[in-house]
Amino acid sequence: MDSDSRLIFEKGYNHPHNNFIPKMDIECVNIDDLISKTLQREDLPIPDIPEIEIVRHFLNLSQKTYGVDTGIYPLGSCTMKYNPKINEVIARLPYFSKLHPLQEENLGALELIIELSKILCQVTGMDGFTFQPAAGAHGELTGLLIIKKYFEIMNLKKNAIIIPESAHGTNPASAKMAGFSIIKIRSNKDGEIPIDLLKYAMEGDNVAGIMLTNPNTLGLFERNIKDITKIVHDYGGLCYYDGANLNPILGICRPGDMGFDIIHLNLHKTFSTPHGGGGPGSGPVGVKKELIQFLPNPCIFLNKDGFQYRECSENSIGRIKCFWGNFGILIRAYAYLLALGAQGLKRVGEISVLNANYLQVQLQKKYHVPYNRTCQHEFVLSDKNLPNDITTEDIAKRILDYGIYAPTIYFPLIVSGAMMIEPTETESKASLDNFVKVMLNIYEEARSNPELIKNAPHNTPVKRLDAVLAARKPILHD
Amino acid sequence: MDFIPHDKDTIKEMLKVIGVNSIKDLYKDIPNELKVNKLDLPESLSEPDLLRKLEQLAHKNKIYSSSFLGAGCYYHYIPSLVEFVISRSEFYTSYTPYQAEASQGYLQAIFEYQSAISRLTGMDVANASMYDGSTALAEAAIISTIITRKNKILLLEGIHPEYIEVLKTYCWGHHIEYELVSEEFLFSKLSEDIAAILFQSPNFFGEIEDVSPLVKKIRTISPKCLIIQVMTDLTCLGILKPPGDLDIDIFVAEGQSLGIAPSFGGPGLGIFTAKNLFLRKVPGRLIGKTKEINGVKEGFILTLQAREQHIRREKAISNICTNQSLCSLAALIYLISLGKTGLREIASQNFQKANYVKRKIAEIEGFEVLNQKPTYNEFLVKCPNINKFRTLCKKDNLLPPLKLSKYFPDMKDVALICVTEMNKRSDIDAFLNAALLTIKKTKWRD
Amino acid sequence: MDFKVPTDRKYTNSHEWVRLENEKAVMGITDYAQYQLSDVVYVELPKIGEVFEKGSMIGEIESVKAVDEFNMPLSGEIVELNDQLHNNPELVNSSPYDEGWFLKIKINNPSELDTFLTANQYQELIQREENQ
Repeated sequence: MDSDSRLIFEKGYNHPHNNFIPKMDIECVNIDDLISKTLQREDLPIPDIPEIEIVRHFLNLSQKTYGVDTGIYPLGSCTMKYNPKINEVIARLPYFSKLHPLQEENLGALELIIELSKILCQVTGMDGFTFQPAAGAHGELTGLLIIKKYFEIMNLKKNAIIIPESAHGTNPASAKMAGFSIIKIRSNKDGEIPIDLLKYAMEGDNVAGIMLTNPNTLGLFERNIKDITKIVHDYGGLCYYDGANLNPILGICRPGDMGFDIIHLNLHKTFSTPHGGGGPGSGPVGVKKELIQFLPNPCIFLNKDGFQYRECSENSIGRIKCFWGNFGILIRAYAYLLALGAQGLKRVGEISVLNANYLQVQLQKKYHVPYNRTCQHEFVLSDKNLPNDITTEDIAKRILDYGIYAPTIYFPLIVSGAMMIEPTETESKASLDNFVKVMLNIYEEARSNPELIKNAPHNTPVKRLDAVLAARKPILHD
Repeated sequence: MDFIPHDKDTIKEMLKVIGVNSIKDLYKDIPNELKVNKLDLPESLSEPDLLRKLEQLAHKNKIYSSSFLGAGCYYHYIPSLVEFVISRSEFYTSYTPYQAEASQGYLQAIFEYQSAISRLTGMDVANASMYDGSTALAEAAIISTIITRKNKILLLEGIHPEYIEVLKTYCWGHHIEYELVSEEFLFSKLSEDIAAILFQSPNFFGEIEDVSPLVKKIRTISPKCLIIQVMTDLTCLGILKPPGDLDIDIFVAEGQSLGIAPSFGGPGLGIFTAKNLFLRKVPGRLIGKTKEINGVKEGFILTLQAREQHIRREKAISNICTNQSLCSLAALIYLISLGKTGLREIASQNFQKANYVKRKIAEIEGFEVLNQKPTYNEFLVKCPNINKFRTLCKKDNLLPPLKLSKYFPDMKDVALICVTEMNKRSDIDAFLNAALLTIKKTKWRD
Repeated sequence: MDFKVPTDRKYTNSHEWVRLENEKAVMGITDYAQYQLSDVVYVELPKIGEVFEKGSMIGEIESVKAVDEFNMPLSGEIVELNDQLHNNPELVNSSPYDEGWFLKIKINNPSELDTFLTANQYQELIQREENQ
C-alpha cells in the first residue's frame, strides 16, 4: 500500500506529453489574432503529470475507499445494494454514451424513456413520469413545484406543507425552495403519524398537503396510510411520497394505491444504479393523471392512446434541468428492471425485509430498539443501552476497525443517538451474521474496555479526525 | 437475473431466527387491500439476453462520425485514464464519505477536484459538485438574493435558453423577480434593488465577452450587486483569463466538457465556485483538510456541514444532497491528464479549428457569420437553406449544427456551429463541402 | 451538571445574557447554551449600524453538528462587534461571559430590561429544561 501522502499536484514534472491531443491538421494563425492578449490568461497552475503517476495515485486512493463491492454497507435510508456490472457495460455502449441530447435521431433513447415510464407506472401505480430531476432532493423540489402550480391554477392560496419531524432533511429544505412554509407533525408513540394531529393540522386553510415517506424513516409501515391520504384529500390537499424507502414494498404494494398524488424515486437507491461516492443519481417524479399537465417540459406520459411525447404544456411548472435528465442513470435502472422482471422485483422487496428483521431480532439482544415491532427494510437503534457514556458515534468508529462500514448515525432526529441500519436484499446470511457478531462484540468491548471504543478507530489509515478544526479553519483546496 | 445470495434453506433458517413462519408475516402491517397481485411487467432476462435487447435499442439511435453540434453539450477527447479511474468500483460503489476515516481515498480525490477547479478558474472556493450548469446557475441566483437581501436579478442576453428556462422555474419557486436584458440596456436597469447580474461567457452564440470593463462598470454603478458568470464549455480556460482574475463573485459552469461522455445530456457536472467572502453560503458538500484529534497525520473530511440540509433542514439555502461526485472525479482526471500544456493545446485547437471553419464558410456565397465579438468553438451563421444544409451534412455522416429557431423561432436559417479538436481535417472539408453543395452542385476543393 | 450563571447580568428565555455597560447593552450566550452546542466553529454576527426590534433573529452560531439562531435581546442599533470571534470562535465555549461576548447595542428603551430573567430565575429555567 502506498504510504505516499502527496497530493496529485505534487507529482508533476517538466516534460509534458501530448498523449491525449489529436494531431493538428489545419493551417493555424497567430492565437493573438483570434483572441486579444488581454483576454488570455498568463499562467495555468495545473501541472503536467506522467501517466503512471496518475494511475498509481488513484489506484492507491481507491484502495483507501470502501464501496459496496468491498463489503456490507448498512447505511439506513441509502439502500446500498449490489450494482450489477452488466449495467456498466450497457451504459457505455457507444450508441448510448455518444448520443447528443439535441440531435434528432434519438429514437432509441426516447423509446428507453417511454419503456422505463411504463414499467415505473406499473411498479408505483402512477400515470406519468418526468426524468429531468437529477437526484431525490431535485425530485422533491419538482414535486412540490407541481403542488404549488396546482393551487395557483385554482387561485387558492395554499402555502404550507405538513412534514413529519422524522423526515429526511431534504424534505423541509425542498419545501422551502418551493416557497412553502412547514408545519411539523410529531410521530406518536408507535412511530407513526397521529390521525388526530393530522386532522388538526389540515384545518388551517393554507395547507397544500403532506410529504411522507412510507415505510417511514424508522423503517415502519404507516398502517393508517389510507386514512391519512383520505384526510388530506378531504381537506383539498395533495399527498407527496418520498420514494427513498420504496425498496421493501417493490412488488408488494404501490404508493399510487396508497393515495399518493405525486412521488419521487431514487434510482440510485431502489433501482441499483451506483452511488458514485455521493452521485450522480436520478430522482424521477411520477404523478397521477390529473397532474400530468404540470410536469416539466418536455415530457412523455401515458394517456388512453398510449404514450405521448409533449414538447410544451401551458400549465407545466417549466424546465427543472437542462436537457433530458441523467440519461446514463436511466439506462442502468431500465436494464435492472428488465433483468429482474415481475418475480425478481417482488423478491427484492421480500428479501430486503427478511434481512432487516434478521438483524433487528439479533441486535435487540443488547442494543435498544425504540420501536419494538416488525420492521420493513431498515430499523433504528438508540443509544439508550450504551454503557460507560459511549456514544453512537463511538460505536460507528469502532465498526470501522472491523473492516466494515458503519450505518447511518444521528438520523432520524426523533430517536436519541439513532443508528439506522439497512442491509438490503443483496447481503448474504454470512455477511449478516458477521455484522451481528461485530456489533455484539463491540457492545461487550463498550462494557469492558470503553477507552478502546472512545478512541476508535484504530485500524483505519487515519485515526479519528478533528471535525471541529476543519470547520473552524477551513482548508478547502491546496 | 437474480442478485440475491440466499437459497430456500437459508431463508427458512432466517425466518426461524426471526420467529415467523413465512415472509408474508413480515408484511402484516400492510393492509390487505393494498397488496398487489401481480405486476404487468416483462419476464426477467439473463445477461446475454439483456445485452442483446439493449444493444438493439441503442442501435435505434444514430451515431455520426463527426459532430458540428454543441449548444451546451460538447464532444472532446476523453483520456483513457478517466475511464480507468471512474471504473474502480471502490469509487463508484461507495457513498458520501460520512465516515471519513474509512473514506480517505475518495475524500482526498474530491479535495483534489476542489483544488483543480480552484486552480483552473482562479476562484477561492469550489464545492464538490451540483447537478449541472443550469441548476448551479439557478441556485447561485437564489443565493445572491439571500446574501444581498434583495429580490430581483438581471439576466444578460446570451445565456443558454434552457438555462434561462430553469432559472425561471427556480425563481418562480423562490418568488424571485427576474428580467432579461440586452447589453445595450443593462446599465440603465441596474438599480439599488438588484441582487445580481447573471451572464454567460463565452455565450450561447459563441461570443467571448470582454469581462473586465463590464465588471468594472457594474461595480461603479451598483457596488452591492453580485456578478455571476456561467460557462458551458470549460476547455476555453486553457487560454482565456479565468473568472477569479476578473472579480467575478460566483462562477458556475457545466463540467461535461471535462471528460464526461455526452450520454444524451446526463449525467453532467455542475461546477460551483465563489469568493471566500461567500464561503458559508456555498451550497453542497465541501471537503476540508484537517488533522487527527490525537495524532499527527493529516486527513480529509466533510466540513462546514452546518450549511447543509441534513443539519439546517428548512433553514438550508439549498436542498442538495446527492450530487455528481463520480463526474467530478472524471473532471479531475481529465484536468490532470492533460495538464497545463495539454489544456492550452486543446483550447488552442478549438480556437483555431472553429475560427478556420468560420473564415472558410464566410467565403461561401449566401453564408454570413453573424457574430460581432471574438468566438471560441461556436459561432452563428446565416445559411441560404438551413434544412438542405443539415440534410447534406447528415448524408456525409456529420451531426449537423443546431437550428437556432429551436430556441429563437424568429431566427430562421441561422445555425449555431460548433467545431472542436475532435473535428478532423477531412470532417471539416466534408462540412464545408456540404455548405457549398447547399448553393451549388460543383465540389469544393482547397 | 453545574452551569455558571454570574449575578452581574440578566438573562433571556432563549439563553442569551445581557449586561449594561455605560449606555450600551453587551450580549452573548450563556454557559448552558455553549454546552448544548458543543464546539462552536463560527458565529454569524449582524453588521454595525443595523437596527433591530427586540426578538428579531439577528445571527447564528454554528457547531459541527448544529446551527442555532440568536435574537436581538433589546431594541436598538448594533454599535460594536467582537472581532475576536471570527478567528477564535472557541472563545464562546471557553469564556462565554467574558471574552466570548458577541456584540454591543445602543438601546432605545432601557425599560425592556425589566422583563429579563435574573440569575436565579435563569438557574430555574435551566433546571426545568434539564429535567425534561
